[in-house]
Amino acid sequence: MSFWFWHGLRKGIQSTRYPAHVESAPGVSPGRPVNTDFSTVEDAQLAAEICPTDAIVAHGKSTYVNHGKCVHCQLCLNSLSSPMNWEAGYEWTRLPANQTESLPFPSAFAKSMHIMVVDAGDCGACLHEVKLLSNPLYNMHRLGFFLTPTPRAADLLLVVGPVSENMRGPLLKTWEAMPTSKKVMAVGSCAISGGVFGKSFMCACGVGSVLPVDFEVPGSPPPPLAILHGLLTVAGRKSLKSLEPISEGRH
Amino acid sequence: MVIASPSLIAIFVVCAAGFLCSALFGRKQIPYVLAVAGVLSATLMVLASATVLLTGQSLDAALWELDGLGRFRIHLDALSSVFLLVTGIVYFSVSLFVASFLRNRDDEAHPHRLYSMLYFALMAAIVLILVASDTVLFLISWECMSILCFLQINYDPRGHSDKFAGYIMLAMSEAGFLAVAVAFLLLARSAADLSFEALRTAGTALPPQALWLPFLLGFFGFGVKAGLIPVNFWLPRSYTAAPPVFIPVFAGITLNLGFYGIMRLNTDLMHTGYGAGLVALITGSVTALVGILYATTDGDMKTMLAHSSIENAGIIVAALGAFLVFRALNQPVAAALAISAALYHMVNHSIYKTLLFEGAGHVEAATGTREMDQLGGLARYLPGLSAIFLVGCLAISAVPPFNGFVSEWMTLQTLLRSAVLVSTSVRIVFALCGAALALTAALAVTCFVKTYAMNFLGIRRGKWEVRDRAQAMSKFPMAFLAVVCLLLGILPTYVLPMLNRSVEPLAGTSITTALVQPFFTATPENVQLPAAFLQDFHNLGAQVGRGFIPGRGLVVLLRGGEANPVVFAMSPSYSLIALVILFAIVWYGFRRFTRHRTLARRPVWAGGIPRLLPLLTYTGTGFSNPVRVVFQAIFRPTIIGDTRQTVAVHFRTAIRRQREETHIMDRLLLKPVGTAVQKIAAFLAGMHHGKLNAYVTYVLAFFLLILFVYRGG
Amino acid sequence: MASYSSPSAGSNVAGLTDLTTTLEERFGKEITKGTADSGFILTVSLTQPSILPALCRFLFWENGCLFGGIVAEEQPARWQMHYAFLLPGAGWVKVDLSLPIETTVLPSIVADVHAADWHEREIEDLFGIHFENHPRLGDFVLHDQTWHEGIDPMRKSFSPSRPQLELKEDLEWKPLLVVSEPGSFAMPVGPVYEGGVGESLHFLLETVGEDVIRAVPRLFYNYRAVEKIAEGRTVTDALLLAERFAATSAFAHSLAYCRAAESIAGVEAPPRAVALRVLLAELERLRHHAGAIAAICESTALAVSAAQASIIEENLLRASCAFAGHRYLFGLNTPGGLNRDFGTEQCRTLLTAVDKAESDLRTLEKRLRLSSSFLDRLEDVGVVTGESARDLNLVGPIGRASAQHCDLRAACPYSGYERYAFEIPLETEGDGYARLRVLLAEATQSARLIHQVVDSLEDGPVHVPWSVNHAGAALGWAEAPRGAALHWLRVNDSGAVERYRAVTPSFNNWLGFHVAAENFAFQDFPIILATFGLSATECDR
Repeated sequence: MSFWFWHGLRKGIQSTRYPAHVESAPGVSPGRPVNTDFSTVEDAQLAAEICPTDAIVAHGKSTYVNHGKCVHCQLCLNSLSSPMNWEAGYEWTRLPANQTESLPFPSAFAKSMHIMVVDAGDCGACLHEVKLLSNPLYNMHRLGFFLTPTPRAADLLLVVGPVSENMRGPLLKTWEAMPTSKKVMAVGSCAISGGVFGKSFMCACGVGSVLPVDFEVPGSPPPPLAILHGLLTVAGRKSLKSLEPISEGRH
Repeated sequence: MVIASPSLIAIFVVCAAGFLCSALFGRKQIPYVLAVAGVLSATLMVLASATVLLTGQSLDAALWELDGLGRFRIHLDALSSVFLLVTGIVYFSVSLFVASFLRNRDDEAHPHRLYSMLYFALMAAIVLILVASDTVLFLISWECMSILCFLQINYDPRGHSDKFAGYIMLAMSEAGFLAVAVAFLLLARSAADLSFEALRTAGTALPPQALWLPFLLGFFGFGVKAGLIPVNFWLPRSYTAAPPVFIPVFAGITLNLGFYGIMRLNTDLMHTGYGAGLVALITGSVTALVGILYATTDGDMKTMLAHSSIENAGIIVAALGAFLVFRALNQPVAAALAISAALYHMVNHSIYKTLLFEGAGHVEAATGTREMDQLGGLARYLPGLSAIFLVGCLAISAVPPFNGFVSEWMTLQTLLRSAVLVSTSVRIVFALCGAALALTAALAVTCFVKTYAMNFLGIRRGKWEVRDRAQAMSKFPMAFLAVVCLLLGILPTYVLPMLNRSVEPLAGTSITTALVQPFFTATPENVQLPAAFLQDFHNLGAQVGRGFIPGRGLVVLLRGGEANPVVFAMSPSYSLIALVILFAIVWYGFRRFTRHRTLARRPVWAGGIPRLLPLLTYTGTGFSNPVRVVFQAIFRPTIIGDTRQTVAVHFRTAIRRQREETHIMDRLLLKPVGTAVQKIAAFLAGMHHGKLNAYVTYVLAFFLLILFVYRGG
Repeated sequence: MASYSSPSAGSNVAGLTDLTTTLEERFGKEITKGTADSGFILTVSLTQPSILPALCRFLFWENGCLFGGIVAEEQPARWQMHYAFLLPGAGWVKVDLSLPIETTVLPSIVADVHAADWHEREIEDLFGIHFENHPRLGDFVLHDQTWHEGIDPMRKSFSPSRPQLELKEDLEWKPLLVVSEPGSFAMPVGPVYEGGVGESLHFLLETVGEDVIRAVPRLFYNYRAVEKIAEGRTVTDALLLAERFAATSAFAHSLAYCRAAESIAGVEAPPRAVALRVLLAELERLRHHAGAIAAICESTALAVSAAQASIIEENLLRASCAFAGHRYLFGLNTPGGLNRDFGTEQCRTLLTAVDKAESDLRTLEKRLRLSSSFLDRLEDVGVVTGESARDLNLVGPIGRASAQHCDLRAACPYSGYERYAFEIPLETEGDGYARLRVLLAEATQSARLIHQVVDSLEDGPVHVPWSVNHAGAALGWAEAPRGAALHWLRVNDSGAVERYRAVTPSFNNWLGFHVAAENFAFQDFPIILATFGLSATECDR
């Protein structure tokens, strides 16, 4: 059995060097559509129409993207003759629409933040990406982020999923059980806007309608590095400047 | 002598007065009779025994002469005094508890008068046992005590108590009594008369081989009363059956009589070889381990406490066994340590076990149940009782600053003193017994964590309400014992010199000189302690209190040789001060750092379910089940009646199981013996089938047998 | 070592003929046989509901059919109940029952086909149809502590866009406990547990301490009413729901859904798209199995192996993202083919990654086989006997670890699986270790399939125009990583979804979880859970 120790050591350090360096391995992030200026008004209209969740809004020849609604169906990339512009990267954390200034944790939390994750009707993708943060390639523990099994010890409530009716009670209970000061981070488009599920008798159309959200990480699902960026932002370790500016695309 | 003698007589007078008053006064007055006469006689017991222990003078009186049996004598020596002192303290608390209990009892049909009369009769019998100084008086009072105990269990004619439990106790007591009587007679064969004095002269002169039989008989006889394996199967039964007004006496006082008997007959009156000591040591250790295993897994508060009494009896007897070995092998210091550990633990056990049984009685009176699976959350309803009970639990779990810690620590240190012995095999036995006792101590903590947590913490599991009348019961008797627990725990350097009065004659050396080092009284020129040694300890703070605290010091310390100057040392007194200071600092710091914070109370976090229901929380059975699983070989649980109701093959609608456990002693001893007796009886009954020819054959066969036996005569 | 059962070559036409003949003999008067349509080879319409249990028993027990699922449809004046059975090697058989809309009580088939248990409970909860003699109805999808009786959200009269009801939880609600032993109690786990990285579901571990006597899962915390909110959407919009209710098997579910949509429109996806769908489905399976293996390693606290398996999984996720633009293969399937094409170079890069993952898994397997403490914790843990697995119709790797060799890729080939050579691993022990071996063997087979697809990939379009402008219904199916997935789709004349029903492998297999989770030591619970590898969200929809 001791060979595991040896095999583990032999692998060497596998963790990404983010946030000190940019991680550029292929496939760490699917990228996302960004505001695009088309050559014709029709192209812009087409792009807006093909979007199933109305995340793309056309204004003349320009289109604006509300990433909180984008469910990453890639139709605007694959099915258009003139596709939307696509950006790589993963530093996507942003503030909720009703909030104008970012309020990260004070510096005491910077190197030690305990995270309570709640699956509020998630499809499993966002949850899985959160889980992957613990794997050696991302290894969030090296940054002082820890998952905690009890809300009593949690600083940050990380919610994935559009908040199903059956999870609304447990989610509220978890939030209430957390000590102040606490922050809430909505991860994934479903948690931000309800995503493909929209508003229905069983879905609350995002965490914002149930709890006060402090930070949002858009994406469907946001890749692990995007979530890591979100955590760093909440901990106050990524400067506010790297936050997405409140763009006109937000409607 | 001056005070002891009249107070001893006064005890009996007060007992008699209590007995008469109970008979004459009305039902409403009985609680007052119990309180007044009980407290009075208890105080007299404490006075008499304290006089003897403090002055060192013993009381000796010869009573009347009896034809052929010699003179009845009473003699209150140091050993008796220790037991009488405990008896007094316990009776003080119990009398008040019982008075308060009866006063607030809802039950109108309870025979107060009969109970009270028996109470005082038993009290007199017990005191008589402790002061009897000749065989006949001792045996007579012992027999009285046995019968009175039986009556105390079964006095209530409405039969809520288990008759079988009373009878099996009586039967075992009588068997023990016979064995003890034979042991005394065997010893008396070589003695001048039947007085203990003469027996001691004979018993110390006889070679150890000749003492084996009286030792074993006495050990068996008194072991029955002390609850030792393998003859303790009566104990959990009768403790469970005993009414709550009797059980504190039963557990806190009559159990001690077993130890008294062993100490008197097997330790004081004869000087056995080390083999006898090993028998006691092994018996004690096994008793302790088995006792605590059953205590940990039992769900009934009273039965649990009964098993815990067995455990403590085991610890006491193990220390006693160590004493016998050390004495036989000429290790006076280790022997003194062992016998003081045994006595100290006996005192402690009486105090906290009485406290716990009173608490259990209180809980039962308040809620109507003793089942730990049903109780829970009592701290919210009975906060005072909860705090006092917690002291008892801490004390019995040997947590400082309470008394259990001192004596268990001394017992374990005693067993480690086997290092001074030469024989490897004896050392191995000591090591194994030490391991068993250490495991026992650990399990005791589990057991009482469970007891406290399941009864007083968490949420209420059963459908009971706290009764108002029971709530009105006085908590003073228990609080008194809790204070005694604390005092015995923090003042061992004052308790040990008192015990020394009885230790010194037995061990031949002073435990005070051995353990209580004179840090307060020693001067640099004092040769008792080397100056460098003294200085080291003074630097550690061992002289704190010198000048305004009387006594030799507050540190218990055993000195070794050159290579190992300190064998062991402790000071619960200083520990308590340190503990208080630490608590104060933490409390102050906590308050200081949190003064700006607001406290928010939220429901228990239970993973997001609507509410944590009682049926979703641990039960006592569930808490202790790991112990049951690990020690499966001892418990041998059998699942009876495992029924699984299913609909359409895979729908489980009900899984019902009943677990049955037979106590290991019942399984190994009671059942086989019972079966054998029944078989023999069946065989004998089979011989009597009423046919004339058969009887003629029996006569003929018997006749031939007689001829054969006496063929030479 | 795993034994393999080869996929049966060709269709089981003889079986179908036999079945038709015996059906005629046994039930000639009460049934009318329809022809093959909408994905079924045979439709049996009942005139009498009372013979339904007998007919189902006949199909399930006497003819070796596997149970597919129940679809309830509310039509303006009638209830349409469809009972789907799979005749292995031949295809799907449908039993139809049409009843007036006033009907409130139906015969239950659970006494004969236990696998139908949860289907009936769900229909009772969501439609309000009662099943006669079903032993346990109520408290299923709509939890009793929150939802009161009388809400039937799947009825047409219930609007999906109706706002949330803001129901209050009943604090006095008590769960149903079946164990009674002195001192027994239940340990509640969840719905928020494991720090939340476990999916939302709730367990009651009934115990007397140390050993758990019974563990019952309580699901549907993640119920988002996908089937209800799909109604009225266009087929392509509803595809987003079908794809995204369970991300870990998104491609398989979207494939089954698209095949149903194609079947209604009568359109076939072009050959290149069909082949690429196999490639993507197998890539998903490989990645899912790597993740499941990582979870098993983690449950036994063998940290290094868990880390290495997790690295394999992440590498496959990255390969998927580099290949198809999405780590979980979202947004690729569309009725009529695929949304995008892949270049040869891309495929070659993917092959390298797949080979690397496969060989890493082999290395991991070799080391795991040498780790006795790891094997000790898996062996004889969470045993599901072959009989139970058949009884409860367990599917996927769990079924195959208990000697149930149903794999839709072979039993009812779709998307051109019949063209490729692959084997179906089969184990008989039914314990945790058997399930792990099945996962490892299937991962190898998936890599093998990906190779074959890339090697035989023909040029051509990946998409044909698809539209639907007539009413119709069809069944689509796929072997998702966790087992058989069935999607039933009905569209109206305007091309909007009228009824959508997804039968997922997790829904099937959670039903069997309690068989594995009976009388076990508490510390084995995470292991049983991990070796089952089920998804709550896939079950809940």
